[in-house]
Amino acid sequence: MFDIENLKINLIRLFLTLIIIFFTLILFGISPFEVFESIIYGSLGSYSKIIRTIIVWTPISLASLALIYTFSAGMWNIGIEGQIIMGAVGSTLVARSIFGDDFISPYLQIFMAIIFGAFWGLISAILKVKANVHEIFSGLGLDFVASGIVIFLIIGPWKREGIASTGGTDIFDKASWVPTIGNSNFPLFLLLVIFLLYLVSALVIKYSSLGIRLKATGINIFATERFYFTSDKYIIFSYLIAGGIAGIAGFSQSSAAYHKLVPSISGGFGFLSILIVLICSRNIYFSFIVSFLFAALIVGGSQLQIRMGLDHSIIGIIQATFVLSWLVLQKLELEKLISQKITKVFVK
Amino acid sequence: MIFFENTLVTVISLSTPLIIAVIGETISEKGGVINLSAEGTIMICALFGFMMGYITDIALVGFIFAIFLGAFISFFISYCDIKLRMDQIAVGFVLTILFTHLSNYLGQDYVRISGPMITKMQIPLLSKIPFLGEVLFNHSLITYFSILLIPFSWFFLNKTTFGLSIRASGENPTAASSRGIDVKKMRLYGTLIGGGLLGLAGATFSLYTKYGWSEGHTTNYGWIVLAIVIFGGWNPYRAAAGAYSFGLLQVLAIKAQSVTLALSQILPLLPFPLMIFILIFIQYINRKERSSIPKIIISLVGGNQPEALGKKLPEEIK
Repeated sequence: MFDIENLKINLIRLFLTLIIIFFTLILFGISPFEVFESIIYGSLGSYSKIIRTIIVWTPISLASLALIYTFSAGMWNIGIEGQIIMGAVGSTLVARSIFGDDFISPYLQIFMAIIFGAFWGLISAILKVKANVHEIFSGLGLDFVASGIVIFLIIGPWKREGIASTGGTDIFDKASWVPTIGNSNFPLFLLLVIFLLYLVSALVIKYSSLGIRLKATGINIFATERFYFTSDKYIIFSYLIAGGIAGIAGFSQSSAAYHKLVPSISGGFGFLSILIVLICSRNIYFSFIVSFLFAALIVGGSQLQIRMGLDHSIIGIIQATFVLSWLVLQKLELEKLISQKITKVFVK
Repeated sequence: MIFFENTLVTVISLSTPLIIAVIGETISEKGGVINLSAEGTIMICALFGFMMGYITDIALVGFIFAIFLGAFISFFISYCDIKLRMDQIAVGFVLTILFTHLSNYLGQDYVRISGPMITKMQIPLLSKIPFLGEVLFNHSLITYFSILLIPFSWFFLNKTTFGLSIRASGENPTAASSRGIDVKKMRLYGTLIGGGLLGLAGATFSLYTKYGWSEGHTTNYGWIVLAIVIFGGWNPYRAAAGAYSFGLLQVLAIKAQSVTLALSQILPLLPFPLMIFILIFIQYINRKERSSIPKIIISLVGGNQPEALGKKLPEEIK
């Protein structure tokens, strides 16, 4: 983990990426410093803003974690959006059932969200393994099928009393909201979930045979056969785990962010997480940090609109530029050159 | 009959951008490149096409600018894919996210204003034929282009050396390379043609079928294009049929709005499950003996996925 050379290269790359973003913003006629300040203030400036950041961080960090499993198995899990959506459907199912006003509801919701998300992931996996359907196409298809299901549920069986609109279902009973401590609305529960899942995943990926085999599957599907285990099994495994974790992200969206089911329940966080995992290259510690930064960007972005009159889409531009420059720089290997130059100067 | 005729006319003109985009993506995928930036490319080209048309007040400038922009974007993907050997899917995906946000940001001043229009152009004599004349020969120039593009692209991919070389590069780069085909160039050309057509499709949205610009103007059309390409089994004719069916679906969805809200929201999502079924069926056919399945079924739902689709070029191709 503590590879100094690697760390140095990553830091130089981070610096170069920030320079690119800096100039991109100038190109748009926006002051980068003002943007930076607004984002810091807007995401961490007050108690309620920190809470909002955590509520956004939860689905993003969980979806990124989920994607690390599937990327480890060499799978492009673009169906992550659908898995988040289905998780939210599972959790809404519980919130609307007879358990909805019981204190046990959130825990049942998590359970249901995991099952629904994992099931949706399983479909992609089975299509890949049994029918050799490229996971991008099946994932994309299932994303839209999931959103179709949500729209159907909101307009049809779960519509609000009297009105059929796409505004969402009824607000959940208070008991079905994500538990908070005492009278404050601090979502400690979500933080615990994130830390627990990341800790377990770090251990699983680093020390268990499952982690090693997932990696082997990702590197070379054919080599795995020679080591006497079929990669099929691990592709399915990775999708089940990823779908389950993404399902929890959906639970967080429906029961912590919206307190109801809305058509765009995933908030596009699944696709955003794909961006995050692309730059983290399966490094679980990175995704933990980067997902927090991206969440802060999103929450701070709303401040940009108030303070500077900028459209919120500037945040998406910053995020995508960041990822794109990172990926291109990674391939150009400029950092290695710079790093060598720096070393030379210091050695002399 | 009039109702039927009107519906057909609407379907054909409404599907114009989809036809162009679907054929562009088909050519790109035949060359082995999944241009996953389709959603973003269409979106940003729709904006810039409209913008350029608005500034110069000539629609044609908008169309041409959009073609070049689309081709330029696909050139970037090709550069990352061929020269830097990056994952084409990753690049395309990031570009989609970037361009959707970028178009929202840059397009703020162009929301719901009107610019140049393109007019219908009746074809003399032919448009006088009863029924057919009204359905086929009373459209705008871009619609005629989209109709002609279907047989042309089929001919291009199946009968010309150029098209066949692109296909060979998408099927088996190593073999194509040893047969003397410049695989890198062919891959680049395939993507460029595809990207240019995606750009044109974007401009067709904003200057013709979905006139104007608004935030997220062409949302989901790029993904639908990817689905229809597969639905069409990488064959221009079937892809076009898929695009027209989707156009019909859209018209039905609008009509269904008054009956049930749910149906009108869900109908446009139908291509996606259909895409998955087609993919399953293709695999099923490939595993069985081809002769044991009726030919008509193969030609309707079969299809050959380019062997090297979405894969990096082998290292030995320098």
